[in-house]
Amino acid sequence: MAEVRLENVTKKYGRKTAVREVSFECKEEEFFSIIGPAGAGKTTILKILAGIEKVTSGTIYFNDRPVNELPPHERDVAMAFESYNLYPHFSVYDNIAFPLRAPKRTESLSPQDERQRVEEIAEFLGITSLLDRRPVQLSGGEKQRVSLARAMVRKPQVYLLDEPIAHLDARLKFSTQTALKKLSRQLGTTIIYVTHDYREALGLSDRVAVLRKGVIEQIGTPEEVYHTPSTDFVARFIGDPPVNLTDGQIVTKDNKTFLVAGDDFTIQLEKGLAESAKGRAWQEGDKRVVRCGIRSSHITVSRDKISDNSFQLPVYAIARSPQGPLCTFELNDSFLQANIDQGIYYDMSEKVWLDLDQDHLLFFEKTMDISKK
Amino acid sequence: MSKVTIDRVSKTYEGNVEAVREVSFSCEDGQFLAILGPSGSGKSSMLRMIAGLEEITGGEILFDGKVVNRLTPSQRNIALAFESYALYPLMTIYENIAFPLRARGLKRSEVEEKVAFIAEELDLVDILKKKPSSLSGGHQQRVSLARALVREPNVTLLDEPISHMDQRVRAEMRARIRRLHDGLHLTTIYVTHDQAEAVSLCDRLAVLNFGELQQIGTVHEIWNQPANRFVATFVGEPQMNFLDGKIESPREVSMAAGERKIVLPYAGSVDRKYVGSEITIGLRPQQIILSMKKENEGAIASTVELIEFQGENAILTVKLSHIESIEVKVVIPGEKVGQIGESVWLKFSPDIIHLFDKQSSILHPET
Repeated sequence: MAEVRLENVTKKYGRKTAVREVSFECKEEEFFSIIGPAGAGKTTILKILAGIEKVTSGTIYFNDRPVNELPPHERDVAMAFESYNLYPHFSVYDNIAFPLRAPKRTESLSPQDERQRVEEIAEFLGITSLLDRRPVQLSGGEKQRVSLARAMVRKPQVYLLDEPIAHLDARLKFSTQTALKKLSRQLGTTIIYVTHDYREALGLSDRVAVLRKGVIEQIGTPEEVYHTPSTDFVARFIGDPPVNLTDGQIVTKDNKTFLVAGDDFTIQLEKGLAESAKGRAWQEGDKRVVRCGIRSSHITVSRDKISDNSFQLPVYAIARSPQGPLCTFELNDSFLQANIDQGIYYDMSEKVWLDLDQDHLLFFEKTMDISKK
Repeated sequence: MSKVTIDRVSKTYEGNVEAVREVSFSCEDGQFLAILGPSGSGKSSMLRMIAGLEEITGGEILFDGKVVNRLTPSQRNIALAFESYALYPLMTIYENIAFPLRARGLKRSEVEEKVAFIAEELDLVDILKKKPSSLSGGHQQRVSLARALVREPNVTLLDEPISHMDQRVRAEMRARIRRLHDGLHLTTIYVTHDQAEAVSLCDRLAVLNFGELQQIGTVHEIWNQPANRFVATFVGEPQMNFLDGKIESPREVSMAAGERKIVLPYAGSVDRKYVGSEITIGLRPQQIILSMKKENEGAIASTVELIEFQGENAILTVKLSHIESIEVKVVIPGEKVGQIGESVWLKFSPDIIHLFDKQSSILHPET
């Protein structure tokens, strides 16, 4: 079980920088996820850790020992990649057993122990019935689980898993995610896990690093990155329905601070929040502007005015979400979505009252375009 | 806008491959209906037959009571938006959207008016002079949708129109599509394999599997009264818990391991002849009530085994203390996630229990 540390790791391909000054520490036995959109540099980091790619600068440590120069097989890592890379002429059983038989392994297993280990992992991932098949006879989702089983059949210092369940259909994803979490707790081995799917990362991990264009935007527990995202990008990337974001002007009048976004939206900010909003604000002409965010579950919608801070908007449309009906509004250049109670229906264009739960208001600097397009 | 009736429709391909078998359902004027099923369920054949892109082997398709089997796609006046956009690359966005109107010989002023309206609704006003190649995928898809809807079709058919967009754009597109449907009073049939997408957008679902209709009903009906185990499994994420059980009496079921037994009251009434039968009990993770204290009569002592935080909610894997071999998944709000190893109480209300016989059909007709 290794502790893995990256210090100022940069990777360039020609003039293009894939990973820029990335530092993080993954503790012993920790399940650590790296999430971000396509092209963020997630897989590059895994390849660097595996020893398949060399860093341009920076240092990687396994248990405080620099491993930059160590070839892949001396790092004792097990990998599963998004492309399955199964041996086509081997059965599923032999594919999974392969890492146990590799010549460089010092510990050699008896055939009984090998079978027990392979069957155990196959059972966990629900592929017991496939053990005698060849890879060509498998669906994409089945191949992916075989590939994952092969990676997890032995106990290395570190597991490196790259989108290992990305190709499973939604239902299988949920059950495999649960199986993987159970397995990881049983194994107690360090796991570094790459995904673009925030649900996998939140569900599985002890901590999550959010990567954007080769740079880490935030590292935190699943609860931290969800409830207190450090940037507008992190907020938007995590959660569905996506967090509502809008830019508002900060107006101070009679010792009170207001947030104004367009003609319809004016709310008075409580004192602590006003300070936090001002801290993130930027200058636009003679105005102070801040980006404000709130999740759909923290907005109350009603036909009646709720408080002095309520404001009115016409209903744009009503659809549903896993949390119940979801009401969409237009606010400035973006959409605003709020959960409403089951069984309540508003007409399109009906003007209703909205009220924000200020305890859950988030303020950000502006690092991305948020207009609907 | 039309009412669409599918009357005992079948589709057999060369070599006797039956893609669709005697499927009947209807979509009322102004309704938003999903045809939902896994790959190979026949949903795409169904869509192509409604559109007129494929011949119907047996049965009839009717628009407002008139058989359309022999009508061409354009005679049926169908709007089709496919996942692949197929825009005309050499035309501007304006010309792309105006194309079906011009093809019909509409007056210039009418064309302009209609294009302006739909462009406004779909936020395309700023890009009307551009060519498709310069647009993002999301934009292209909206142009494709605008082109389909601009000629006020009898029926709008959408084939997985937003499944490959990222989640933020998807949430916005759902709102846009729903607004267009409601605002233009469209009759919309939406074909998808994604149950979450179907549930978010549509009023009614027609669930297909292996070419046969499994159930048609409102989202609420499909969720609460699934017709069989396939529907119960296919709709809802994470999926329904399935536990081995036995009928104790017409109003009671039990779960057992060795000497230990838990008896649950059941809201329906099972025929006496089934008493003693082995059955499968289905429980939706979203409907099980979890509490930290024993607040409910009949609550079952349990222990939290695993927590998967998902943001808005969390999926808990919970083991029953009395029968440790039984594990169920429970979905709870994301704010009050507890700890692994914590003692909790589970309540399986009589009205959330679904019973399936060994053939996977639902056991009771109604409560």
